[in-house]
Amino acid sequence: MNTDVLEVDGLCKSFGGVKALRDLSFNMRRGEVLGLIGPNGSGKSTTVNMLSGAMPASSGEIRLNGTRIETLSQWDRVGLGLTRTYQTASVFPEFTVRQHVTLGCEGRRGVGPLAQAFRLRRDPADDSRIKERVAKALELTGLVDQADHIVGTLSTAQQRFLMIATALTSDPCVILLDEPAAGMISHERETLSGMIGRIRDAGISVLVIEHHMALIMEVCDRIVVLNFGAPIAQGTPREIRENRAVIDAYLGEAA
Amino acid sequence: MKRGNILLLIVLMLFVALPQLITVKYYLHLSILALIWVIMAQGQNLIQGYTGYVSIVQAGFMGIGAYSSALMSTNLGLPVSATIILAPLVTALFALVAGYPSLRVKGHYFAIVTLAFNMVIFIVLLNLTDLTNGEAGLSGIPKPGNGRGATIDFYDRQVYYYFVLTIAVVMTALAAVIVRSRVGQILLAIRQNEDLVASVGVAAWRYKLFAFVVSAMFAGLAGALYAHYQSFINPEIFSVAQSLDAILAVIIGGSGTLTGPVIGAFFVVFLPEYLRFADSFRLILYGLILVLATIFMPRGIVGLAHDLKTRFGSAR
Repeated sequence: MNTDVLEVDGLCKSFGGVKALRDLSFNMRRGEVLGLIGPNGSGKSTTVNMLSGAMPASSGEIRLNGTRIETLSQWDRVGLGLTRTYQTASVFPEFTVRQHVTLGCEGRRGVGPLAQAFRLRRDPADDSRIKERVAKALELTGLVDQADHIVGTLSTAQQRFLMIATALTSDPCVILLDEPAAGMISHERETLSGMIGRIRDAGISVLVIEHHMALIMEVCDRIVVLNFGAPIAQGTPREIRENRAVIDAYLGEAA
Repeated sequence: MKRGNILLLIVLMLFVALPQLITVKYYLHLSILALIWVIMAQGQNLIQGYTGYVSIVQAGFMGIGAYSSALMSTNLGLPVSATIILAPLVTALFALVAGYPSLRVKGHYFAIVTLAFNMVIFIVLLNLTDLTNGEAGLSGIPKPGNGRGATIDFYDRQVYYYFVLTIAVVMTALAAVIVRSRVGQILLAIRQNEDLVASVGVAAWRYKLFAFVVSAMFAGLAGALYAHYQSFINPEIFSVAQSLDAILAVIIGGSGTLTGPVIGAFFVVFLPEYLRFADSFRLILYGLILVLATIFMPRGIVGLAHDLKTRFGSAR
């Protein structure tokens, strides 16, 4: 049986003559945390943007649970279970935390919003399922006490957790975290790493881009290393730490 | 009963009693126009206030509603009660065609594209003389009902006032239903961070188009009510200047609120009348008031009232 949730095959991206990403292939298993690391400009964010559908791929295949998704829109990919967060805290600042997280369910609702707005159809089971999902996401990200706060008043770290909570309510099988620890202090990073662990335990596969090596080495089951838009290594944290090419390109001797 | 509901009831009763309180007939006339503008402003608010897209074509849509309702009743002989319902649908169709390309661009570009659409509509109304009679306009547009002297006589200004009041209340309620639903949440989300909307699994363009088309229907309905009230229309009334008034009604009243457009509509209809004494300086004065209003009460009259309430409340 094929247990790979996400399969990436020969993914390429060029901007004009510049090849930002060349021939990237990797698989993600169910409930696996995969790290994507590399120096600045190595193509990490480009990869996440192509996987999530924010940017079209120049060539290559992306399969989610066996379905080709590389030509689908971003919202359709969310509907199939692939969701993401952003490198900079990108939120809806005027909503309450609860409203914000609830919005994450839109892609996976049983009844369309237009139908519901005019009371054409209503699915009570849908509503209760969503309440449950929101409560679960708030709990997992530690935002229960902030549920009625306005998003704009939250700290940066809390806004980052909120992005994760919102992504989780879409009931994903894969979640892409683009530098989730950026701007976080040490105890917030610890909270984050615990959170990623619990997301994995829920059976969701997590792709993490991060520059904070301690966090990456701690949470990841496997790591893919990019350099100048090309994959240079793939393996467990231990293998990556000892890989000569990775040390030369990115980690340095001290690591 | 909640305090807000009591306030709503009082305001409604005030509107119902208004024709009895007004002694000058001209003010009743202005009140009717203002109620028509309430519908217009509620539509504008959906796209501008809630979705964050400033549309400068609402007067053009009003014109499409006005001309289609007038022409359907005079040329095709359809009953006015039917044309008033059909006119917003015709307008919606135009908005669907205009909105699809317009909404591909964001922010100010959208405003400019819609502005161009208003100009196109204006020029077409002016030059399609076979149908619209050009600059001279259409006159003798029938009123709803069974003509003069009928049991419910729409030639009676009071009757028309209550007729428009009813529709304005229904349309405001409709706007309330939309903005308080999940659709409203998505529209607000688009206003706050459109790029992020896609990543929560929502195709923003569908909702933008929805808001645009619905706002056009509101404008089309307002146009139809206007045409059958005035019995006369010409292209002049549906120029860009009127579209700007719709924008101002929303800004001055309070963008993204339901009461804002109601206040704003009365404001844009009555203010120019009170500035008549200034004669040719009227527009300059009008402009000055607007500049000051946007600087000192950026959230409109509703926002100002809210601020005063919280300040007053905390002082106690």
